[in-house]
Amino acid sequence: MRGADYVLKRAAFALITVFAAITLNFVMFRALPGDAVTNLSRVPKATPELKHALLIQFGLDKPKWEQYLIYLKQLTHANLGVSFDNSQPVLKNLKTDLANTIPMVTLGTVFSIVFGILTGILSAWRRGTLLDQVSTNTAVAFYSMPTQWLALMLIILMATRYHFPTQGISDPFLLNPTPWAHIKDVLRHMFLPSLTLGLTLYGEYTLVVRSAMLETLGEDYILTARAKGLPPSQIVRKHALRNAMLPIATLIALSLGYIVAGTVLIEYVFSWPGIGRAVVEAVHNRDYPMLQGAFLILTVSVVFFNFVADLLYFKLDPRVTE
Amino acid sequence: MRKRHLVVGAVVLALVAVACGSGATGTKTQSSGGVKEGGVFRLGTSSGIDSLNPFVAFQQDAYAAFEYIYPTLVQYDAHLNFVGDFATSWEYSADGKTWTFHTRPNAKWSDGQPLTAADVAWNINTILKYQKGATANAAGYVSHITSAEATDPNTLVVNYDAAVANVLSQFQQFFVIPEHIWSQHLGHGGADLKTFDNAAPVVSGGPFILKSFQKGQTALFEQNPSYYGPKPHIQGFGLQFFTNDDAMITALKSGELDGVETVPPTNVKTLQDAGFVVKSVPGVEFHDLIINSNPKKTTNVELLDPNVKKAFEYAIDRNKIVSVARLGFAQPGDSIVPPATGIWHDPNLKPIPFDLNAANQLLDQAGFAKGSDGIRVAHGHPMAYTVIFAHDEAGPGDRAFQIIQADFQQIGVKLTQRALDDSAAFDAITAPGTTGYLNFDLAMWDWVPLIDPDFILSVVTCGQYGGWSDSGYCNAQYDQWYKEQSTLTKQSDRVALVYQMQDQIYNDRPYIVLNYDDQIEAHTKNWTGFVYSPQGSFNPLSKATMTEIHQV
Repeated sequence: MRGADYVLKRAAFALITVFAAITLNFVMFRALPGDAVTNLSRVPKATPELKHALLIQFGLDKPKWEQYLIYLKQLTHANLGVSFDNSQPVLKNLKTDLANTIPMVTLGTVFSIVFGILTGILSAWRRGTLLDQVSTNTAVAFYSMPTQWLALMLIILMATRYHFPTQGISDPFLLNPTPWAHIKDVLRHMFLPSLTLGLTLYGEYTLVVRSAMLETLGEDYILTARAKGLPPSQIVRKHALRNAMLPIATLIALSLGYIVAGTVLIEYVFSWPGIGRAVVEAVHNRDYPMLQGAFLILTVSVVFFNFVADLLYFKLDPRVTE
Repeated sequence: MRKRHLVVGAVVLALVAVACGSGATGTKTQSSGGVKEGGVFRLGTSSGIDSLNPFVAFQQDAYAAFEYIYPTLVQYDAHLNFVGDFATSWEYSADGKTWTFHTRPNAKWSDGQPLTAADVAWNINTILKYQKGATANAAGYVSHITSAEATDPNTLVVNYDAAVANVLSQFQQFFVIPEHIWSQHLGHGGADLKTFDNAAPVVSGGPFILKSFQKGQTALFEQNPSYYGPKPHIQGFGLQFFTNDDAMITALKSGELDGVETVPPTNVKTLQDAGFVVKSVPGVEFHDLIINSNPKKTTNVELLDPNVKKAFEYAIDRNKIVSVARLGFAQPGDSIVPPATGIWHDPNLKPIPFDLNAANQLLDQAGFAKGSDGIRVAHGHPMAYTVIFAHDEAGPGDRAFQIIQADFQQIGVKLTQRALDDSAAFDAITAPGTTGYLNFDLAMWDWVPLIDPDFILSVVTCGQYGGWSDSGYCNAQYDQWYKEQSTLTKQSDRVALVYQMQDQIYNDRPYIVLNYDDQIEAHTKNWTGFVYSPQGSFNPLSKATMTEIHQV
């Protein structure tokens, strides 16, 4: 199979996946019992007249197939609809939520990738030693901790003692900050949530990198490289890691793709106004347009990064297309 | 993102420039008549502001925010009596159909435009015009109003087609928005009224201007120099939105906040020990066990038997629920009109006590004998019921359920908990469809009544099937009383009928009211002047707290 064929095939598959996701998103949330109007059952302002007006405003009075066609039509105009919750365009809401989420989750993800790869390499190189055991078991321990518990523990242990903030993105009472003071403030707010995320995720990389590395380290050409007297860093970097990259690349692609999903538990503990939190609230409120929009972005993101990974495979290992 | 924060920072500089302080540390302030002026009060909340548009917002803090930035004709005082806000006095005709309000002269909006009775009239008439569409969420306030007009800049005349008993309560909740801003958003048949985001800085008429708002994060309020009422002592206040109570309490303890709106009972002692002022006030929120009272119910019809319902109430240990589930920060329940509403609660209504023997006796007399597994059999089936448990109730409600479940086991009734999120819970209660009320037996949920009893009395009317009714209760006589009380402008008459109605509901038991929660809040010792209420000190009932608080 030629390279171009491979790329085209992967691209077509990506598009089909996105379309299937669009349809699934539409169907899935409407299968939940109740709707946006049922959700207002406790609110004194929610008179029967208001509920009726909302049903019409939300288009929920139309038959489902008609709602689906309207949804598709809006999508072709890059219109993600209007949120049932605050009557603002979904795209506008998502932009704000994503702008809040992406920096924090990216920082945590990058930390987990870098730290995970380093500890994985170390564990593989020093396989069987105490260092390997400590490193691997620590990684697994953090990986298995409930995220919200770890977040609360970090708050208790670090927030008050080291003055790390536990709410929001920045301090609203910071007086006219210089750019540097502002960056410092934002990073201070981001530190605990990103650290929590990094710690709970890095174990994945440690284990995958370790096992991929062990495979390659066992190969004959590695023995040859050692026999030639090459330094360990060169062996790892030039020979072992490169051949172990396929599974690692998959994992990195998936992780990057999922950045736009946010991290619900962390966002809830740190009151971080991100997309994870927005999605949970949208489920609670049965805000279909927000859910459809958020999941569409997530689908496109994951599919895109997977597509990039597919292309990378081709570069990393030309044998893949055969 | 950076630009937004710089703007926020500049705003705060303006806020704090005169006062140079935020509570905890020493501040440069002026004293006026012994009261320290200045400062910015930082309040943490686990509620939120979902929208700055009054036709869209549903969350509690949104209404509290509107209370401080928009005029209302009247407000509550500390004793829950009506006093003037934008209106200084009012009177109504003998037949109750014409109300006249005299409003403050020479008032201005924060952008300098005149604020007059004409603004209020425009608000009323616009809501009337679009009440089936964009302004539907305010339709309740203009119920029975035919028209409103400003006969001069300081006189508002409101015309009704019938006498309405709770006019003042309705206008207490009626936020007056500026005509000169909102009249530009009437397009698409009024639909633009809802899509207008009313972004900060908001043109305000109350004691504060909403200067900046970041959804899910913060809202900053600055003193409004154009306000017609008493000048606040503070330069401004800020709300910080938390999704996690523990993180909020940590922020209070570490000095990032000056106060928090709600304190979970589990944190009260630690805050008191750390030197914070913790205040607990009987609240209006109550939790209930709902018994499906739809007269047309076809399954488990023993639940329609008044003696069975009475037996259930005998088997509920309210005192234990208060002490275990609420750690003592609650009052045992009885009427659906809470004591915290003042005169509207019937003081003569006494609930039956916790008495398992009496409960067993009633069920024995009904002929429901216990089977070999200890569960009674009624009409050929075991008395085993599923309790729909709304997500709202999670935490303390789970404890309360366990207590009730254990006690019901002693009277031969088996309860199983079915936890559902709020939308799904309401769907399950109304099933089949949205007005069936045939499938469910029991549920546990809560209500947060208003001070005026009209709302909570309405939730058990036949007309609320598919609306607020979560019990399927339908009683034609009760509905008639409900309609009648809404027309009794003489308070003593209305009070008497309201007592009669809540007694009826108590005896018919669509709800067994478990307890009324206390409203608990906390702040640092550096601040004082808070005006507490059953909805906390930062509330949509009056402009008092943020106007009166000051540093010590």
